[in-house]
Amino acid sequence: MRVSRWRRIVWVGVSAIAVPLVVLLGAYSGIYNVAASVGHQTWFNWLLRLGMTRSVTFHSSGEAPPVDLGDLHRIRLGAAHYESRCASCHGTPGSSVNPVFAQMLPSPPGLVQRVPEWQADELFWIVRHGLKYTGMPAWSGGDRPDEIWSVVAFLQALPGLQEQEYEALAAGNNDADADAPSATELVEQGAQTLARGACDRCHDEPNAVPISDLVPILAGQSAEYLARALYEYRDGERASGIMQPIAAELQDGQIQDLANYYSVAKAPIQLTSLTPPRDGSAAADATGVTPGSVSDLAYYGNRQARVLPCIACHGQNSRPDYPKLGGQNAAYLGQQLRLWQKGGRDQTAWGEVMGTVAKHLTEQQITSLAEWFAAQGSSREASQ
Amino acid sequence: MKRWQSCILLFSALLLTACDGDQSMFRPAGSEADKVVFLYWTMVIGFAFVFFLVMGLVLIAFAGPSQWRVWLQSEKQIIGLGLVFPVIVLSGLLVWGYLLLGSSSLANGKPDLKIRVEGAQWWWRVTYLLEDGARVETANEVRIPVGKLIELELVSADVLHSFWVPAWTGKMDMIPGHTNILRFVVDTPGTVKGQCAEYCGGAHAFMSLYGVAIDEQTFESWLEAESAPAVPLSQHPGRQVYLSTGCGACHQVRGQIGPGGSGPDLTHVGSRLSLGAGILPNDTEAFERWMARHPFIKPGNRMPAFGFLSDLERRQLARYLDALE
Repeated sequence: MRVSRWRRIVWVGVSAIAVPLVVLLGAYSGIYNVAASVGHQTWFNWLLRLGMTRSVTFHSSGEAPPVDLGDLHRIRLGAAHYESRCASCHGTPGSSVNPVFAQMLPSPPGLVQRVPEWQADELFWIVRHGLKYTGMPAWSGGDRPDEIWSVVAFLQALPGLQEQEYEALAAGNNDADADAPSATELVEQGAQTLARGACDRCHDEPNAVPISDLVPILAGQSAEYLARALYEYRDGERASGIMQPIAAELQDGQIQDLANYYSVAKAPIQLTSLTPPRDGSAAADATGVTPGSVSDLAYYGNRQARVLPCIACHGQNSRPDYPKLGGQNAAYLGQQLRLWQKGGRDQTAWGEVMGTVAKHLTEQQITSLAEWFAAQGSSREASQ
Repeated sequence: MKRWQSCILLFSALLLTACDGDQSMFRPAGSEADKVVFLYWTMVIGFAFVFFLVMGLVLIAFAGPSQWRVWLQSEKQIIGLGLVFPVIVLSGLLVWGYLLLGSSSLANGKPDLKIRVEGAQWWWRVTYLLEDGARVETANEVRIPVGKLIELELVSADVLHSFWVPAWTGKMDMIPGHTNILRFVVDTPGTVKGQCAEYCGGAHAFMSLYGVAIDEQTFESWLEAESAPAVPLSQHPGRQVYLSTGCGACHQVRGQIGPGGSGPDLTHVGSRLSLGAGILPNDTEAFERWMARHPFIKPGNRMPAFGFLSDLERRQLARYLDALE
């Protein structure tokens, strides 16, 4: 009895040392073949997949998708981003996965077939955080859940798309004048690395409107502001998983060229700056009479609610590094204001000012101000 | 000098710090402030007497002759000195204090000048409510004519503040949603300082103001200048910076750039005594310093940093503001 107890203790001790030693020796010996061409054992592959799917389900719970997830503007923006960053590995309707990436291990799943296996919140989690040891990167643009939901919106639409439908979504409106010089051509003269159509894919040619309301109109915007935005994306001061990777490839000269190019381009909707009131007597009344309409809010603010007048900075006499807002897409304006409210855009000296302003706005005010500004642009056809 | 001697010297010096200068109740410039000082000294002397009386009795209780101690122990003395005496002294003081400060001759009658002072984090909005209904807004500075009955309407834009210009009158709280009335007359001309006397958040200590009492004629001409719109300076490069940067969103330059309203009115800012609510002098260099470093000069203040302004723009802006007289 005594002997057998001692024997047991010795056995446990030896195993505790021997098992890790064998594993260590196994790794050191190099016997296990890490070649992507060979693949894993079927049982090991099954184990890895089980761990991965369970982990995604476990960690992704609690991300509620936005109510308007199926909105076409989201899908379009997601499609354009998918085409530029995801399609080469994950394939598109009508084209299979690029043979080079297909040789990765694990090989990237063709998403047309595989997306339905995941819930929206699981897709969101994968796009946001990436997957260890698979080659799937985490989202590159800081905290921008709105952009990630656009990708998810597109992914959910993807399995039902025909080849032509996908092309129409991912290639933008493409109703541009063929003779007009494209931003891409302009940039490609200097940078071979910039992917073809990097700007046009979302913003479209300057003489068309962007493919999605979530994408800002660039044509007619002030050159100083456009350059500032690109510098901020490039230097990591403004978060966007869509714009940062694009801006990262730009050099100073190209940023200036692009900014100048778009600032003088003629858009179907002309961005405008509104005339600020000369004297604030209407709102500066010490009794604090609350102006009612959206335009009063934009021109005079609301002192009691600490809402500042938008036009004081975004007016005709404003600094060229402040953007023109009249005619800009409402969904884009609203999205940016919400970003500011969450502290997502106050990393720069300019953003800090706007962050102070945005935190006093209500959701209702954000929506109505964004729509009001969007309606202030002048249509080029109408003015001619 | 021995350590205990220097300690006492240091402590006495500390006691004296509040006794002089332009922010002291010991330099009363008007009848209300006189009363505060009178009440103060009455209490100090009276309670010094009470203090020594109590200490004397304590001494008797411990080390006095046995007859005195027996006398002190009697129920009569305990009721008389321990109950009746404090009740009479404290009640008398309360009633007298109320009569002295409350039943002022200033409480009745029409004031000669009405001014609304609004405390806000962390500055003072000063609005002259003129008889013809006109309103003249300035900030961080209350100018009044000597010998006139002044009525301040004290209000708050956000949290509790307290208006206290010790040389003029006692302090009074500014309460959100409520108007407190403070009336006083100042007889001695001169510039004195005030301070928010109720903790109101981070920059509370940097919420000062100036009180300026001047003769009536000077006051009238000042008020006339103050109610006029700003000098145009339409070609001033600093004006362009002011306009294009959007300073007008918070700071009005009356008749020219607005709407303003949430920050101090800057129509005649160049002619004021201080910047940042009494914490910097008022000159071009101080304006420039404020613009470049105000988050450090007055931490937590509500103005964004505007860190993108160039040195040249800040200098132009400073010159423009200083020229707004």
